[in-house]
Amino acid sequence: MTRGLAPRDDRLGQEAALVARIAAREEAALREAIQNYAPLLHRIAYRMMGDAHEAEDIAQETMLRLWDNAEKLATRNSGEMKLGAWLKRVAINLTYDRLRLLGRMSDGEIPDRADDEKLADARIEDDQKHAAARDLISALPERQRAAIVLTYYEELPNADAAQVLDMQLKAFESLLFRARAALRKSFEAQGDAGGAS
Amino acid sequence: MSEHDPRTGQINRKDPDDAALVRALDGYAAPALAPDFADRVMARTKDRAAPMPDARNGRGKPWRSVRRLAIGAGVFGALASAAAATGLLDDLPIDLPSTEEVWATITGDTVPSTPAPRTNTIVEETGSADAQNRAPIDGPIDTPEELEEAFDTIDRLRENRRDDRRNRVDNRIDQVLERRRDKGLPAPDAEQEARLKQRLKEARNRRDERVDERIGNRRDELRERVEDGEELSPRDILREERGAAGGERLRERLEELRSLPPEERRQRLREFRERRQQMRENRLGTPDADPSVSEADTGIDGEESPQTSPSEPPEQ
Repeated sequence: MTRGLAPRDDRLGQEAALVARIAAREEAALREAIQNYAPLLHRIAYRMMGDAHEAEDIAQETMLRLWDNAEKLATRNSGEMKLGAWLKRVAINLTYDRLRLLGRMSDGEIPDRADDEKLADARIEDDQKHAAARDLISALPERQRAAIVLTYYEELPNADAAQVLDMQLKAFESLLFRARAALRKSFEAQGDAGGAS
Repeated sequence: MSEHDPRTGQINRKDPDDAALVRALDGYAAPALAPDFADRVMARTKDRAAPMPDARNGRGKPWRSVRRLAIGAGVFGALASAAAATGLLDDLPIDLPSTEEVWATITGDTVPSTPAPRTNTIVEETGSADAQNRAPIDGPIDTPEELEEAFDTIDRLRENRRDDRRNRVDNRIDQVLERRRDKGLPAPDAEQEARLKQRLKEARNRRDERVDERIGNRRDELRERVEDGEELSPRDILREERGAAGGERLRERLEELRSLPPEERRQRLREFRERRQQMRENRLGTPDADPSVSEADTGIDGEESPQTSPSEPPEQ
């Protein structure tokens, strides 16, 4: 699920150059960034939110934040820049915001929302496996959810995922362990209830 | 933390134990982005408002602020300790209680008295430049020669202080004018400035004449007292020089004012305020100013009243 990329130093230089071009208001550069990163951001947001429209909104807002902040980013990171990490962090933070907003708007806890959405989701996907997997992820607290999405689905190394979440590596590993334990427990519970395939 | 823990370890796609979980998770496929996604983003960039500037404390985290405060407190403490250790505080006009005084306030004991400085000595504080020229006069003054020597010392001190004050005022005026000119604000031209300084000089001369006259009268009285065989203490002289008598006159006038009927008192105060207002308006050119208010209002150049010079506060 990861893209084949140039060697690390070259990639960081290219990303810095791309940001510099966006800072110069070169639309082709933003299109290039969208092409490179928007699908990834959309996937992350979708798996965390469980809603395709919300995910697309988040991906769009993230790219617009890049457009807005390109000048500052180019100034701070002349030469090298981890654009992907920055975009992922923005997308995840936006996702947190949306989840919390939804949590405030609904009466229950955030994980309960997955149960409420089953019918809507079934209308769109009609895929029991899909819904079951989404329920598993949605049952996790938001940070554990992000840890699983980044490491399992996007196959990020722990160090990179920790950087995206702005965490120390040890703290991230601890979070990831808790996330896996919660996921397995939830999966077992789902199996006991006959939900898992 | 082991990666091989079956409950918390990595979810391995190739591990048969994880096969069911992997199948479940992999069923969560994300849909593709809309084909016109990029076009929509580009369209949104057109009407995008400029981003907000960074908040002033945007990069600051609470612990950073705490750290800055701690560092600031530490630096202040170090500087204060260094200043105390080098005796700098002794040279500053800061009244720091001694250890004995602080202890006495805690224990309720009698505060140890500190020796009153210069009780019977005129030591002229003429500044470091001519500190070696100090002319202490010990003991009572009972001869005209000693009296004249005291007058000379006081005159020298007064002139030094007066020149120092006036230089400071002149410098301040020059700085203000320079600043205004640098900023392009209205400022007097060379001719106006010269006229202003001339009026200032004239006002100073008038003031000097008044002060000299007043002091001359007092000194004549002192000379008569010495000639009559009276012994004067330096404090007597200083009190006279500073116009302690003027303070007594002021008190007498206040007492007199209080004894007046309310209506008349109000009238007198009204007249006083009018005179003072008039003085303010004509501050730089009123040769016949009312002497009763001149001491307070002739400080046109920021100078202290002559009553507040020379060395010690008046002791009534």
